[in-house]
Amino acid sequence: MHSAVAHHFESLEKQGQAQRLGMWLFLATEVLLFTALFAAYGVYRYLYTGAFSQASRGLETWMGGVNTFVLVTSSFTVAMGLDAIVKGKNKRTGLLFGLSILLGCTFMVLKGFEYRHHFLHAELPGPFYGGPIAGSGGSMFFALYFLITGLHAFHVLIGMTVLGVIGARTWLGKYDAEHHVPVELAGLYWHLVDLIWIFVFPLLYLI
Amino acid sequence: MSDHTSAAATAAHSHAGRYLVVWAALMALTALTWGLSTIHIPGLAGVAVALAIAMVKGTLVALFFMHLWDQPGPNRLVLVTSLVFVAVLVTLPLLDNATRFPLANPPDAETAPQRIRDAILNEGPPAPAHAPAHP
Repeated sequence: MHSAVAHHFESLEKQGQAQRLGMWLFLATEVLLFTALFAAYGVYRYLYTGAFSQASRGLETWMGGVNTFVLVTSSFTVAMGLDAIVKGKNKRTGLLFGLSILLGCTFMVLKGFEYRHHFLHAELPGPFYGGPIAGSGGSMFFALYFLITGLHAFHVLIGMTVLGVIGARTWLGKYDAEHHVPVELAGLYWHLVDLIWIFVFPLLYLI
Repeated sequence: MSDHTSAAATAAHSHAGRYLVVWAALMALTALTWGLSTIHIPGLAGVAVALAIAMVKGTLVALFFMHLWDQPGPNRLVLVTSLVFVAVLVTLPLLDNATRFPLANPPDAETAPQRIRDAILNEGPPAPAHAPAHP
């Protein structure tokens, strides 16, 4: 029997299925965490429709768009990393996860420039809003903008850490073709971060 | 769907080609939704188109990058259950606000009566009708 099998599991396969189910339960709670913010966005967009589309048009759409391409591509490199370890190529997985982390860094740097732009133009939440939109709509939009993109950026940082740890362990040969579920679960987390952004991008930037 | 009982069976064969196709589709759909946003489809139609494209992209990620296509039922059920609650969480608060007596929403909301809205936007928040009595 493989040394990674815990004593209460019959086999590596059964342990792997339990691990996947546990990860999916966690991801479901993550989905609902973001849903609370999306629900708030929906309500305030309904109440301040004009202000929200005006504020949305003021965002740097190209930055959000480029970041979408970057994250989608990083998801692809993570998926290819799993494919490599399934074939037993642990060094290739380490390199692909490293590349994904670099793409994550690119995302964060672009996001940082975007935040800088908002701070310089007083596009901030609540009483700090100094933009052109009258009433509460503009400050509500930027309150939700910073909450949603901030929580998402926090998840990107966690995801980069997870990819770093698992990528390094894979490089060192801790996982192999038979025992690769931790690599798969690290990938699942990163794909969820991508999945959330796929909805954030149109909601904040495009409509 | 392949063999449900064996995780090794789902992982045994390479998915590299599938990942490449999904990645290309995601890039194309991102370009499409970005392009469509520049022609400003008016009103709710624009929102619906953007969300429909996002849902197609999300489905591709969940099914192929996240392997739900190959997973046994329980793991799929977890995500589907969370999506049911996403629908409940997003639609019910929206319906609540949409069906309220207008003055029960924020006074400068665009759904508020125009007269009140104008007054607030031009003169700031109204003074309370009855100043609290000094203790």
